[in-house]
Amino acid sequence: MTLRNLGLLAAAVVVAAVACGGSTSTATTTGSTIILGAPLGLTGSLTKESTLTQQGYNLWSDWINAKGGIVVNNVKHPVTIKYYDDTSSANQSAVLMQKLITEDKANFLLGPYGSAATATDAAIAEQNQIPMVEANGAAQSIFSQNYKYTFGVLSPANKYLQGVLDMAATLNPKPTTIALLSADDSFSLEVADGINTYAPTKGMTVVLYKKYKNGATNLSAEVQAAKAANADIVLNSGHLLEAIAINKAAKEQKLNAKIFAYSVGPSTPDFITALGADANYVYDGSQWTPQVKYTPAFYLSEADYVAAYKAKYPGLGDPDYHVAESTAACLALERAIENAGSLDPTKVRNALAALDVTVFFGQVKFDSRGLNIYKPMVVEQIQNGVHHTVYPASVADAKPMYPTPSWDQR
Amino acid sequence: MIATLDSNRRWRRAFLIVGGIIAAYALLAPLTSLDAAVSANVPLLADRLWFRIATYIAMFIVMATGWNIIGGITGYAAFGNVAFFGIGAYTTGMLIAKAKWPFLAALPFAPVVAALFAALVGLPLLRLRGHYFAVASLGVGVAVGELVQNIDYGGQPLFGGASGLFLPIDSIANRGLFFFYLMVAAAAISIAVTWWVLRSRFGYGLIAIRENEEAAAVLGVNTTAYKVAAFALAAALTGLAGGIFSQWNVFINQDNAFPIEYNVQMILMALLGGTGTVFGPAAGAILLQLLIQFLGGTLPISFDLPFVSETARPIVAQIILGLLLVGVVIFVPRGVIDFFGGRSRLSLSYLRRSLRETSL
Amino acid sequence: MANFVQLVILGLLAGGVYVAVGVGFGLVWGVLNIVNLAHGGLVIVGGYITWQLFTALHLDPFLTLPVNAVALFVLGYALQRGVINRIIRAPLLFTFLLTFGLNLVIINILLLIFGSDFRSVTPTYSGQGLEFGSVVIPYVSLTSLGAALLLAAALAFILNRTRIGLAINAIAADRDAAQLVGIDLRHAYAVTFGLGAACAGVAGGLIAMIQAITPTAGEPYTLQAFVVVILGGLGRVSATVVGGLAFGLVEAFGQSIPGSGSVFANAIAFGLMVLVLVTRPQGLMGRLR
Repeated sequence: MTLRNLGLLAAAVVVAAVACGGSTSTATTTGSTIILGAPLGLTGSLTKESTLTQQGYNLWSDWINAKGGIVVNNVKHPVTIKYYDDTSSANQSAVLMQKLITEDKANFLLGPYGSAATATDAAIAEQNQIPMVEANGAAQSIFSQNYKYTFGVLSPANKYLQGVLDMAATLNPKPTTIALLSADDSFSLEVADGINTYAPTKGMTVVLYKKYKNGATNLSAEVQAAKAANADIVLNSGHLLEAIAINKAAKEQKLNAKIFAYSVGPSTPDFITALGADANYVYDGSQWTPQVKYTPAFYLSEADYVAAYKAKYPGLGDPDYHVAESTAACLALERAIENAGSLDPTKVRNALAALDVTVFFGQVKFDSRGLNIYKPMVVEQIQNGVHHTVYPASVADAKPMYPTPSWDQR
Repeated sequence: MIATLDSNRRWRRAFLIVGGIIAAYALLAPLTSLDAAVSANVPLLADRLWFRIATYIAMFIVMATGWNIIGGITGYAAFGNVAFFGIGAYTTGMLIAKAKWPFLAALPFAPVVAALFAALVGLPLLRLRGHYFAVASLGVGVAVGELVQNIDYGGQPLFGGASGLFLPIDSIANRGLFFFYLMVAAAAISIAVTWWVLRSRFGYGLIAIRENEEAAAVLGVNTTAYKVAAFALAAALTGLAGGIFSQWNVFINQDNAFPIEYNVQMILMALLGGTGTVFGPAAGAILLQLLIQFLGGTLPISFDLPFVSETARPIVAQIILGLLLVGVVIFVPRGVIDFFGGRSRLSLSYLRRSLRETSL
Repeated sequence: MANFVQLVILGLLAGGVYVAVGVGFGLVWGVLNIVNLAHGGLVIVGGYITWQLFTALHLDPFLTLPVNAVALFVLGYALQRGVINRIIRAPLLFTFLLTFGLNLVIINILLLIFGSDFRSVTPTYSGQGLEFGSVVIPYVSLTSLGAALLLAAALAFILNRTRIGLAINAIAADRDAAQLVGIDLRHAYAVTFGLGAACAGVAGGLIAMIQAITPTAGEPYTLQAFVVVILGGLGRVSATVVGGLAFGLVEAFGQSIPGSGSVFANAIAFGLMVLVLVTRPQGLMGRLR
């Protein structure tokens, strides 16, 4: 509670400082409110991830409005983000996108959660020629359609687990065999394809590649196959639900490996609360961790970002990367609007295409498809119930605990 | 007695007039968005959001009305009709995305392929009765979506795989308007087909099957052929909706072409409106979609919930939707169509009577 | 060979959960003629009770199962008595509409109370098990299977040996005749649905141990309950037990198909179900009525 009051106080101070500073600087007038919009799955099966996305968006909107708004040609424009519940349905997401564009007159769009909704909404943004900056659809297929108005700030899917192999190549004894399990949705399959093509370049062999049904909770036969493959590295490309199921089954069936790494899941605090001590030693590929060290051109530093999150959402622990990447999407949009010096959608679109800026989340720059291929992924490991960044060494705050001890010896 | 008849007739006439005005408005208002109308300073009566919602409503009218042919008229509770929607969407989608056909050339194949598939699976499935048929058709619905997503051919996904199919964004002028009228046309076709079925020998056969299949067979109805034909007809209509959806939405994958919740929704709509009737499923589709959109906050009229926080609001809206469904089933078990056309009037005694009829 | 034995064991163990989910669903379907789309929602209510008791009071999850059963029985009884009984004479499909609406209410109340976080129950002995060479039998799964079989046995006992059970059987055979001999239909119906919900609650407790749950996590189980009940044959507890174990085995062997067997898990399971329905509508174990 005190922490929260402190945060409010800090915000008030910032407002006061900006207000005072404003009277002497050139940005004096307040212009029209910029309306941003996002359909999110606030009910239904994607509620958890959608809530994290919303938290990331809100953190930025609080900050920018405390400053008075986005400065465009010396005029400050406050920001409102409109949210609607798409009940985790891609088709309803499309209706809401149209609502945001047509009736709420949203100037710009923020992405929904999930690849299906993102793909559907990208087509609508394209038809209406309104830029959409998204942070939660990493499947590259969306960006192979020559769409001009959709930009993703996150590293693409195929990079998710490559960092784990980079790290593995530095370890001693070097692991050489991989058992790869993957859910059958487009995002997870792209992650898996990334491994299949990347492993040979690191002198590693994928000895088992098995796909399973997205959302499966009984993965004992898959884990059994991985055990039979007796690989050094067990990789899972899926989501939080499957990551928890696989880790439980791995312990039950005594599947031992030197490295357990899952694409999505371990970075979310739920993974640790659900599994307790069994979560230890697990690696994941993460878009961002609170430990990364970038030199932000504007907005908060990593430490201040974590503090701001804890002040606004007390009791939830550190922000995970879903939150951070969602904030980063807002930052990219903000900087593009400033660079464009205009609220014109096409000009802002062009400014997004030309954007190259580093924020707490890392470098944000888009290739010709609208994908941010420039920011590296980092590798996290859960050590004694706490997330630590272990790779690349330049941003790491701990060394990998390697090899993972067998289940009997924990 | 005569007074009641008179009052009913007046009621029916009032309904027809009001309904006609609303329908005319819904159909004509979108025209105000045409460039010609805008430059002539005609006030804008419907915007792109309204096209999208109205197109969805029309799409559900097609699906609910299609379901009604097999589920309502024939009495076979199909629970997997979303398979036909998906097959229609993927047929058109494949022809456009892979074979580079123009949309209007590809569209007619959607209902044809869906109907052929329905006839094929209908032959064994329609031997089952009651819940068994419902569950088996659910199985087919789930399996088809899974196969479409995962079947590989020569190492490549045959139907676009998990990434789905991206169709080129067409350059149809006023495309929102175009797809609205196309979907409305499909809805009109589905209602016309139902109207024809209910007046034809074929339809009498289907109703006979619903009421007593053995007796129908004794009377000389070829029950197998009739049932399969009804199933295929339902599939054709649903497939047509799917075919239009694919180009309208531009992107299709397993999530949006085979959404399992549509299985339930189309039945809900038919029941809500009144099964076995011509206009019931359409009325149910309009009502349920409008209700969903109203609670979701997309309609011009919205509502505020006192004492409910911003985060809890969408959740409470879903709870309200659930409670409304429960209430409707309990109090209006014959569907809302009962109130239209002069059969019954909404009153306390009606609700009490309904409750008594279905209660234990 | 060891791998084959392990697969069979894993399949049977996983089947325990399907048995628990299936018996309640099958009872309500067979006796009341209600296809309960809210079954998955009730399952997850049980899951949250177990999680809450485990987290707050550190109760062993297996000890929470009776609590689940009682709590869900009360909830189920009230739902049937207060709501579902009111449409029991309406056409069959109306139970779809009603239970769909109830499910929506249940899921979203859970969302209001517990939020969308993934919750799981991981007791200290989770992950340990018996080992025979390379073949492993995890305690949690083994005890779950035991609990599920116990649940089925208890249900069979209630249905075949108690007064209310015989009344329920009489209703299943002929509702009107049952009423004529003086059975209180409203009460008997409510007890039946309550028993079905109690089974769902126990299943939910087991599920919270093997996976992470969210308010919507019950949906797949409603679908699977269809298959389990049909595979075994509607109307008898023992048939559902066979159906549940068979489903677990089918799933395990489907997953073990090299490459991508399990992406077709539903297609295989439902395909098998359709095959059973078309060739043996009474189910693997059922008798023709």
